[in-house]
Amino acid sequence: MFDFILHVAIIAALNGLLALSLNLQLGYAGLANFGQIALFGAGAYGAALAFSWGFGPFAGLLLGLALVSLLALVFARLGRSLGADYWGIATLSIAEILRTVATNETWLTGGAQGIGGLPQLFGFDLPGTLALAAAALLATYLVLRGVTQSKFGLAVRLLREEPQLAASLGYDLAGLRRRVMLISGVPAGLCGFLYAHYVTFVGPDQLFASETFFIWAMVVIGGLANHSGAVLGAVALQILSASIPFAKDALGLTSEYVAAARLTLTGGGLLLFLLLRPQGLLPERIGSVRA
Amino acid sequence: MPEPVLSIRGLRKAFGAHVVLGGIDLDIAVGSIVGLLGPNGSGKSTLLDTVTGFVPKDAGRIELDGRAIESLDPGAISRRGLVRTFQLPRMPARMSVREVMLAAERSGSGLADALLGRRAPSALAVDGLLERLLLTPVAEQPASAISGGQKKLLSIAMALANRPRLLCLDEPTAGVHPNLRQEIMALLRDANAQGVTLVVVEHDMAFIRGLCPRCVVLDRGELIADCAPDDLADHPRVVEAYLGRAGARAARKAA
Amino acid sequence: MSQLVFDLVLRTGDVALVAVALSAAYSLVRFPNIATVYYATIGPFLTYVLARVGLAFWLAAALATVAVGVLAVVLNATVFDRLLRSGSAIAMIGSLAVGMLVTAVLLVTAGPDSMRFAFALSPPQDLLGARVTALQLWSMGLSSAALLGFALILFFTDIGRCMRATAANADLARATGIDAHGVIRVITFASGVLAALGGICLSLKGELNILMGPDLILPVFAAAILGGLGNPLGAILGAAVIALTEVIAASTNFGPLLGQAFLFLPVNYIGATSFAILVLALLFRPYGLFVNEVRRV
Repeated sequence: MFDFILHVAIIAALNGLLALSLNLQLGYAGLANFGQIALFGAGAYGAALAFSWGFGPFAGLLLGLALVSLLALVFARLGRSLGADYWGIATLSIAEILRTVATNETWLTGGAQGIGGLPQLFGFDLPGTLALAAAALLATYLVLRGVTQSKFGLAVRLLREEPQLAASLGYDLAGLRRRVMLISGVPAGLCGFLYAHYVTFVGPDQLFASETFFIWAMVVIGGLANHSGAVLGAVALQILSASIPFAKDALGLTSEYVAAARLTLTGGGLLLFLLLRPQGLLPERIGSVRA
Repeated sequence: MPEPVLSIRGLRKAFGAHVVLGGIDLDIAVGSIVGLLGPNGSGKSTLLDTVTGFVPKDAGRIELDGRAIESLDPGAISRRGLVRTFQLPRMPARMSVREVMLAAERSGSGLADALLGRRAPSALAVDGLLERLLLTPVAEQPASAISGGQKKLLSIAMALANRPRLLCLDEPTAGVHPNLRQEIMALLRDANAQGVTLVVVEHDMAFIRGLCPRCVVLDRGELIADCAPDDLADHPRVVEAYLGRAGARAARKAA
Repeated sequence: MSQLVFDLVLRTGDVALVAVALSAAYSLVRFPNIATVYYATIGPFLTYVLARVGLAFWLAAALATVAVGVLAVVLNATVFDRLLRSGSAIAMIGSLAVGMLVTAVLLVTAGPDSMRFAFALSPPQDLLGARVTALQLWSMGLSSAALLGFALILFFTDIGRCMRATAANADLARATGIDAHGVIRVITFASGVLAALGGICLSLKGELNILMGPDLILPVFAAAILGGLGNPLGAILGAAVIALTEVIAASTNFGPLLGQAFLFLPVNYIGATSFAILVLALLFRPYGLFVNEVRRV
C-alpha cells in the first residue's frame, strides 16, 4: 500500500510538470495546445530511442529535449497564420499523426509494443524516484515562476489579452509565441524522459489525445495562469483518478465503470469549472509583477 | 525643410470600390508636431493604420528615417520607432494598470532576461508617471476596468514609455476629462522637447492650436491643405470640406 | 474503375454529413464544436435502442435524429453559448468535455462492444460493375437525400436565406429584423439532425460502437476545414477530397517512385492521410480551398 502511495505521488509530480508546461502556454500566453501529450511523447521517445541505440540516459535526455524543441517550433510556426481554434485543431492533428507514426514505424519505435527495458535512473527505488520527480517539479515551478514574474511574463500576458496593443508597442508576437512554446517544451520533455525511465517502457498507448485533455482538466481546475494552481490540479486529479479502482472494488462495479469514471472526472471536471468557476481553485493574481 | 523622419509617397488604400486614400504624399520633419485633421470618414485613421502596418495598403512607399518600412509587420515598424495609439484603446482584463504600464517599456523583456533574473534598470519612473496622470488610485485595478478617458491617458503614457522616434496619436483627448487635456498637452510637449516627433489626429481645434505649428487636412482620401492652424479658417478647400459647398459660399459672404 | 468510384462516393458519404453539420454550426456559432461527432454517435445508439423496443427502423431513426437535434439546441443554450464568451478555444475544450461525458454514459449503458443493426445481411450484388450491398445503397441514398434536403432549405427557403444572411454578418442581419437567436436555434437543430443521420448512415453499413465519435474527429475536421469552416456545402467537397486521397493512397503502388517493385502505404496510415491533409490545409489554405467564393444572400 505504501508503495502504491509513492507511485501515485510520483505520477502526480510528473503530471505536475505537464500541467506547469500547459499552464504557461494556455494560462499565460493563451495558446490552446490540444497536442500537449506529443511534447511529452517527444521526451519519452527521445529517452527510449537513445536507450535502444545503446546510449546512456544523459544522451536520452538530450535527444528528448532536442525532439521536444523541434516539435515546439513546429507548433509555434503553425500558430503564425492560424486563429486560436484552428491552431487547436492543428496541434491535435499533429499529436495524432505522431502517435500513428509511433504505432506503425516498428523498425524505429517498436510499434504498438513500444520500447521496453529502460533502466531506473541512478538505480533509484521508489523513494529515490519520488525525490527526483519532486526536485524536477520544484525546479520547474521556480524557473517558470521567475519567467512569469518578469517583464517577459508581462509581454506574454499582453499577447494573450490584447495582441494588437502588444504589437503597437513593438513586441514580436510570433517570437513571443515561439519562446513560450520552447520554454514550456522543456518540462514536458523532461516529464517524458523521467516517466520513460520510471515505468521502464515507452509506447504509443501513452500518447492518446485523452491524456492531453486530462492535463487540460488539471490546469483548468487548478487555476489558469497560476503555477501553484496547476500543481494543485495535477495532484488533486491524480489522487481522484488513482482512487477510482478502489471505489470500483468497494461498490462491486465492472471495469467499464473505471474508464467511464475517468472520462467523467476529466470531462465533468472541465465543464463544471469552465461554467461555474472559470478562474479555477487558485485564480490568477493580477498585479503581482512589481518590477 | 529639415530632413523628414517619415516620408510617404503615393499611398493608396481602397476598401472594395470605396477609395479611402487616393495617393497621399506627406513628409513629417524630425522633431516637428503635425496635426492631422479632416472630417469624419476622410481617411485619417486609415492613414495611421496603413502607415503603422496594421492595415495592408494597396500601393505607395513609406520611409522611416530613409528606410522603407511598408513591407514590415506592425511590431517591426514599432521597433523601428514608429509607435501609434488607438482611437478606442482596449486594455487587458487580467493585468493591472501598473503591470500594463510596466510592459510598455520593452527593454529587459527578453526571455534571457527572465531566465537569468536580469532586471534592467528602468529609465521609466512608472509610479511617478501614474501619479502625474492621476492614475495612482486605479494602479492596481484591472486595466480593462478603468474609464475610457483613463484608458486613453494610459495608452498615451504607454506609447511614450515605449520611447518612440515618431508617435502617431489617434484622437488623444476624445473622451478625456477637460482638466486632463492640459496635462496630456504638457506630456506631449515634454516628449517633443526630448526629440519625439508627433503626429496628432484630433478634432479639438483648441488643442491643435495649442500644440501643432503645422496642420495637414485630409478630405475624401486627398490632402487638401498643409498650413499653420490659424490659416485653416481662410483655406477655401478646408472650409468647403467641413461646411460643404453651400456652407463655404455662405461663410465667404459673411466674411 | 467503377468499384473505385463507388468506394469514393461511399467514403465521401461517411464523412460528409457530419462535416456539413460541423460547418453549418460553425457558420453561426463561431467555434469548432467537437460535440458534433458525438451527436453522430448518440444518433445510431438511440436508433438501436428504439428499434430494439420494437419500433420500425425508419421511425426509430427519425425519433433519434430529432432527439439529437433537440439535445444540440439545449447544449448550445446551456453550455456552449456561455463558454464562447471566454473564447473559441475554451468553447472547443468544453465541447470535447461534453463528448467525454457522452462516451462515459454510453460506456456504462451500452458497453464497449460493437453492435449491429438487426438487418438480414444480403450478399453484395453487381451494380454497374461494382460490388454493392443493399445496406450500402440504403446508406448512400439516405445521406444523399439528407444533404440535398439541407441544400434546398439553405438556398430556397426563407429560413435558409436568414441563415446565410446571419452567417455573413450577424449584426447587419439583426438590424434588418432577422431573429438571430431563432436562426441559431434552427441551424443548431439542423446540425444535430445531420450529425445523427451521418452516424446512422455510417453504422448502417458496418457497426456502431462508442469509438465512432472520436474516430470521426479528424476526418470530419479535415473535410470541414478544406471546405472552409462555416461553408456547409464546401464541406461536401472537402469530404470528397479526403475520400479521394484515401482511396488513392490505398490503391496506389508507390514502389516505382522509390525504386521498388511494390510498395503500398501501410493500412494504418490510410486513416492518417486525412490528418496529413488537415495539417497541409491548415498550413497553406487554413480558410478553405474555396475561400475566394463570395457569399451571396
